[in-house]
Amino acid sequence: MNELLRLTGQHVLIVAIAVSIAILAGVPLGTFAHRRKRAGGIALRVTDVVQTIPSLAMFGFLIPLPFIGGIGARPAIVALVLYSLLPIVRSTLVGLERVDPFVREAAVAMGMTDRQLLWSVELPLATPAIVAGIRIAAVTAIGVATIAAAVGGGGLGTLIFRGVAMVDTRLILSGALPAALLAIGADLVLTRVERAFARKRGEA
Amino acid sequence: MSHVIPSVARDLCGRGSRNAHRSATRAPGPSLTLGMTLGLLLLTFCTSQEKKPLTVGSKNFTESVLLGELVAQKLESAGCSVDRRLNMGGTFVCDSAVRSGAIDAYVEYSGTALTAILKQPSANVERAYETRGLHWGPALGFNNTFAMIVRRADAERLALRTISDLKKVEATFRPGFGYEFTERPDGWPGLQRAYGLAFANKPRTMDLGLTYKALASGEVDLIAGNSTDGLIDSLGLIVLADDRHFFPPYDAAVVRRADFDTRCTGASQALESLRGTIDDATMRRLNYAVDGQKRDVAAVVREFLAGKPPI
Repeated sequence: MNELLRLTGQHVLIVAIAVSIAILAGVPLGTFAHRRKRAGGIALRVTDVVQTIPSLAMFGFLIPLPFIGGIGARPAIVALVLYSLLPIVRSTLVGLERVDPFVREAAVAMGMTDRQLLWSVELPLATPAIVAGIRIAAVTAIGVATIAAAVGGGGLGTLIFRGVAMVDTRLILSGALPAALLAIGADLVLTRVERAFARKRGEA
Repeated sequence: MSHVIPSVARDLCGRGSRNAHRSATRAPGPSLTLGMTLGLLLLTFCTSQEKKPLTVGSKNFTESVLLGELVAQKLESAGCSVDRRLNMGGTFVCDSAVRSGAIDAYVEYSGTALTAILKQPSANVERAYETRGLHWGPALGFNNTFAMIVRRADAERLALRTISDLKKVEATFRPGFGYEFTERPDGWPGLQRAYGLAFANKPRTMDLGLTYKALASGEVDLIAGNSTDGLIDSLGLIVLADDRHFFPPYDAAVVRRADFDTRCTGASQALESLRGTIDDATMRRLNYAVDGQKRDVAAVVREFLAGKPPI
């Protein structure tokens, strides 16, 4: 039981760090993709391609790399960040593109600078979409984080990998079920957050 | 536009029904005869074909596929027709397939047969297989047992040659294993007990396939692999000798069904010529030719049988 708690803690920590980094990188990247269509398109393609790299292959690339690679939680977090980028970048882009052009025009007419337009009009209006992207990224990451165990990164995947190696179904489930519960919990909480933002926008 | 569709439809239907009519009255004659002839032909073909091709299987990793291909090519050169079912899955899939007759032969390891299939570690493999209606052998000559592996540079600097020598580095070395070796009582826990080792660092557990990369890039210092892994030579690694014989032997041998020879005369004899032809180093090079050099399995086996040793 103690071990289960410890591994669940590790799992949540890995996901939290990875998704936070993905938000910090993904929202600016999505904004950039909105502003510079050409370069942004390329960035989007790259996140698309990253999504298709099998996790074990990704770890194979990461192990020899200094700083971001090696063995343990670090390469697992790097891989998770890369996998979480796509939904966040996409939803940021979609959110910004859906901003009513009349609203934008009005803001410009009021004499807003580019930066003001972005920070006080576009991003606030895009927030519900961005939060939806973060929700998808987080829920997916909770599932995908079980592969951290493949590089000695800990987390609930440890129980799954151990169970697979020992042909022990109970051990596999003891890792898989808590991971599923975590994902459902995260989905519920973030859906609430998403709705709260949508409501706020509705009032504004 | 609106009148085109019905007219086309009517046209098609009309032509269709006319055709159907025609074929219903005239075509049946020849087509029925043709069908019956074909059916008869097929029937005679099937009944005269008493000897089904021999089916060779393998497990789902390079070495097993290589050995399956080796058995298949050897049988073909003896004039047997062979059906390949390589890359089938794990031990239990292959064992149940050969028992049910879905395959006629595959290559198994003695250690696996005793512990995983027969579940009687001290049995006589040949006799135990005989009672199951299978034939064990010939042994191919190599022993693919567990191997404790270190970097060559470390081995030379610290004079590591045997597993006993690990005593010298138990305070500093970082081991890294797959989940199975870490957990199994006859894996790391048993090995430490048998050799009186007490490593200060707990093993890093990771996917088995990544351990070589971790060792080569200096993330860990000791891994457990298989003694015939092709990467051992190509990455400049050293296998420590199992001086206390902790690991059971995993001698590779062909398992075949008892009715093997009735299906193709000379089949067993052809396989018998493989006895003892592959030692550990040769198997390692064959594995490396496929895993490291990305060469085609069939081509590698063909060259080996032609007497060209893999580089």
